[in-house]
Amino acid sequence: METSDKNPAPAAAPESRFTVSPMTLAADRWMGRLIRVGGVGVVLAVFGMLAFLIVQVFPLFIGATVAPISALTVPATAMGFGEDEYGEVPFVVLADGSLVFQRSKDGTKALDWAPSLGNRRVSSVKTYPRTGLVFLGLSDGTVMEVRVSYRSTFDAAGKRTIEPSVAALEPVAIGKPGLPCLDVWNAKGSLSRLLLVRQEDNGKPLLTAVRLTERKGLGGKARVVVSDPFVVAADAPSISQILLPSTAESLIVVGKSGEVRAYADDGANFSFLQSFVPFKESRDPAVASAGLIFGNVSVVFVGRDGSQQVWSMYPQLQPDGKSLRRWGKIHDGEVLAGAGEGVYAAEGNKCYLAVAGGRLQLRNMTTGTLRWEGEAPAGSIRQVAFSGNYDRFTALSADGKLHRWSIEDHHPESSWGAFFGKIWYEGATGPDYTWQSSSGSDEFEAKYSMMPLIYGTAKGTFFALLFALPIALTAAIYVSQFLRPEYRNVVKPVMEIMASLPSVVLGFLAGLWLAPLVDPRLISIFCAVGILAPAALFAGFLWSALPQPVRRQVKPGMEFVWLLPFLALCAYFAWQAGPAVEAMFFTVKDSVSGLPIADFREWWRQTTGETYDSRNSLVVGFVMGFAVIPIVFTIAEDSLSNVPNSLISGSLALGASRWQTVWSVVVPTAISGIVSAIMIGFGRAIGETMIVVMATGNTAVMETNPFSGMRTLSANIAVELPEAALGHTHYRALFLGACCLFLLTFVINTLAEILRQRLRERYKVV
Amino acid sequence: MPATMNPSTSRIQVRPSTEREGRKDYISIRDYGFWYGQKKALDAISLDIPERQVVAFIGPSGCGKSTLLRNLNRMNDLVDGISHEGNITINGRSIYDPGLEVISLRRRVGMVFQKSNPFPKSVYENVVFALRVMGVRDRSTLDEACETSLRKAALWDEVKDRLQDSALGLSGGQMQRLCIARAIANRPEILLMDEPCSALDPIATGKIEELIHELKEQFTIVIVTHSMQQAARVSDRTAFFYLGKQIEYDTTEKIFMNPSQAQTEAYISGRFG
Repeated sequence: METSDKNPAPAAAPESRFTVSPMTLAADRWMGRLIRVGGVGVVLAVFGMLAFLIVQVFPLFIGATVAPISALTVPATAMGFGEDEYGEVPFVVLADGSLVFQRSKDGTKALDWAPSLGNRRVSSVKTYPRTGLVFLGLSDGTVMEVRVSYRSTFDAAGKRTIEPSVAALEPVAIGKPGLPCLDVWNAKGSLSRLLLVRQEDNGKPLLTAVRLTERKGLGGKARVVVSDPFVVAADAPSISQILLPSTAESLIVVGKSGEVRAYADDGANFSFLQSFVPFKESRDPAVASAGLIFGNVSVVFVGRDGSQQVWSMYPQLQPDGKSLRRWGKIHDGEVLAGAGEGVYAAEGNKCYLAVAGGRLQLRNMTTGTLRWEGEAPAGSIRQVAFSGNYDRFTALSADGKLHRWSIEDHHPESSWGAFFGKIWYEGATGPDYTWQSSSGSDEFEAKYSMMPLIYGTAKGTFFALLFALPIALTAAIYVSQFLRPEYRNVVKPVMEIMASLPSVVLGFLAGLWLAPLVDPRLISIFCAVGILAPAALFAGFLWSALPQPVRRQVKPGMEFVWLLPFLALCAYFAWQAGPAVEAMFFTVKDSVSGLPIADFREWWRQTTGETYDSRNSLVVGFVMGFAVIPIVFTIAEDSLSNVPNSLISGSLALGASRWQTVWSVVVPTAISGIVSAIMIGFGRAIGETMIVVMATGNTAVMETNPFSGMRTLSANIAVELPEAALGHTHYRALFLGACCLFLLTFVINTLAEILRQRLRERYKVV
Repeated sequence: MPATMNPSTSRIQVRPSTEREGRKDYISIRDYGFWYGQKKALDAISLDIPERQVVAFIGPSGCGKSTLLRNLNRMNDLVDGISHEGNITINGRSIYDPGLEVISLRRRVGMVFQKSNPFPKSVYENVVFALRVMGVRDRSTLDEACETSLRKAALWDEVKDRLQDSALGLSGGQMQRLCIARAIANRPEILLMDEPCSALDPIATGKIEELIHELKEQFTIVIVTHSMQQAARVSDRTAFFYLGKQIEYDTTEKIFMNPSQAQTEAYISGRFG
């Protein structure tokens, strides 16, 4: 201290006493502040993380915002419309087949085009707004295809001008000659294009189709070959609506009675697949409107009373025992505002706009949620088209208005049900919890259920703790209470070094070394586990049966010197006995050769019907246990060692054996520390990532089977976050997983902390 | 009265020794030496402790009195590198008899420590602990033992309404009496007390001393104490140790009134120690 330096001889000046130096006081004050800042900082950091997670996750749970942009007045005879990518120069197709292009900004005309038809007239109009294809059904049964294309030009100032152009093709003869085409459909199959027309022949519906195949000549000039017309779905008694998927793989005819007939492309024609009546239990079974959902494997049916059903194709067991892909109902129960007037699918996701009872409803097919609802414009809606990136939709109303709405809906596929509920996805055989965030196809239905991940997390943690806790806790008790101090001083640092092993190394060892090693000798390992514990107990019994003089030869705490070779011998025996046990109990007939083989894996598959993966939960639990054991051991050992010696002496002096002392005095006294150790081990196991990533198949399955893999919340984040698009539903769903992990840990840790405080209160030592 | 008696000694009241029926050499220590590693802690101790009497071990710190006490129930066994010579017998049987389990020795030789060490359990569980580890399951036996022991330890009236409360809520004196109750619950023959009152106030000390008087009707008590007054008040016989050696062992009356050794006299008169 400074003061003492200044006054080397206090005796000489008795009035000057030693005083605390200002430096000490200042340091004390500053350290106090520093510690406070640290403490508050930790709390803030934790809450900051939670806040960050919530900010990332929150947008998932807000609905769509839809706002009208403009309403363009178009000729009242407009039958259909189309538009460019930006919606700047939409066109309408009038009943006479002429096209009118208007600039949506001010309504000025950009182009007028009329087909040259000779003596034919237009009997029907079909437009495909997204592709700019217009089909004019003509009065003689032919179809004229009109292609609209847009060209963007930029002037010196960078301003964009879009100029449309129109090209008409020669009419193609499809329908029965002389009869007017009442409707036209176009679909591009994998090999050929399909054109389908509807006519009426003596009051009976007639569907005729041709296939257009493009042949490239040697010079690169394409030549279109038109097949002979063929009649399609001749058995359909009446037609109220036809759904032709853009892939032309199937055809759905909705009859006026409410019967739906499904056909499938068999290469030549469409063969009948099945028929069903969606609303057969309803008073009026007629289907008011139907619409194919993006992806072409689901159809939304809306009844006259507004009730809605979704049907999809999925494998169904047929009476002959085969499982075939057939149409079946996957969603039911939602009721719209009124009779369905139209169902229009969005592009690129599973949303659709249902027009019913004067309302517009933007719904998501997968989750069944209503994203947005609004007033329908006056005049019935003729056609609705979504923009390609789902930021806008346009509707043509019969009173000659082209209405445009903007959509702000970044996460149409998310809902509480999607994350935590069972959902019947397209192609699945029933509702399920599924995580499958991406696929090679754009038409894929993203599946973001948190449940398999939470399940996998719980499963991995369970197996890890199942393996780790008994070993770590008994080891801590043994080392702290029975082992001689000189060995304890070696064991403890070694365990602490083990705790610092990077989990990626453990995962690497688990996946590439341990799993292949364990795989063929699984029964040996089970035998070893089954034998070692009783063997240790038996050794203890033998020891206690030995006469006192013999036992006194071994110092207390050195018994392990005799136990270890014994246990090693037992383990060796178990390892060698494994194949014999396997042959005795687990011999099954090989499915390939038909010969009996002793193979537990095959036995497990055949007996339980469950899968057997070599990278399974047991391996993960085993290796994750290795990550958990050192932590649990260290903390538990500390708290056991801290039990006052006076209590141990007190117990021993009362004639308790060492084991009784440990069990009834030491462990209860150290219980709060042991609970802490378990909780920290739990925290390590629940958040463990790399071991799970590397040592399991990362399959998000919900199986109790210990021989299957799992995917945990943390592994899921590690695996998928690098591939998730920023701000996309997938990205936010990963953060939701993080949120779940956070809450899971938070809740369990809080409960454990309350328990620990209670125990500490109860077993506190004066 | 010896002429060397000084005023401080005269204040010590010596309770007259009570002779009782029983073996005169109930605990017999013969030429007993004891080492902690290379350090000799006890040297050539030889003394007999009669049955159902109170014997006090006195002497300055480090004189080996506690070591000797702790050897009577072999509590030193857990210490590393100990060795001994000579022998200790209790009721004729050596405590180092290879056929004698140390656990059964300790069940016969109870011990109360300097610092009260109740287990972090209820009062009831503390008292019946020894019975529980002996395997007594019968509830009524346990209840009866609990009440008897607490009564003997003069604690029953104070804790009978809170037997299920934590023992750690008791006062210091109560805790020490609880430890005594705990030590006598399984009815040992000998009670070892290692400075049982050193952490207690005079009132609690008085109660414990009263208790020792009552307990000696049933138990042979060996007490280590730093307080000469206490030794004089409670013991029938007193042994004085110095530097691991037994300096003098006689009736308490003799030791305090007429010590035969100069060192004893110096110690009890407060001139060193």
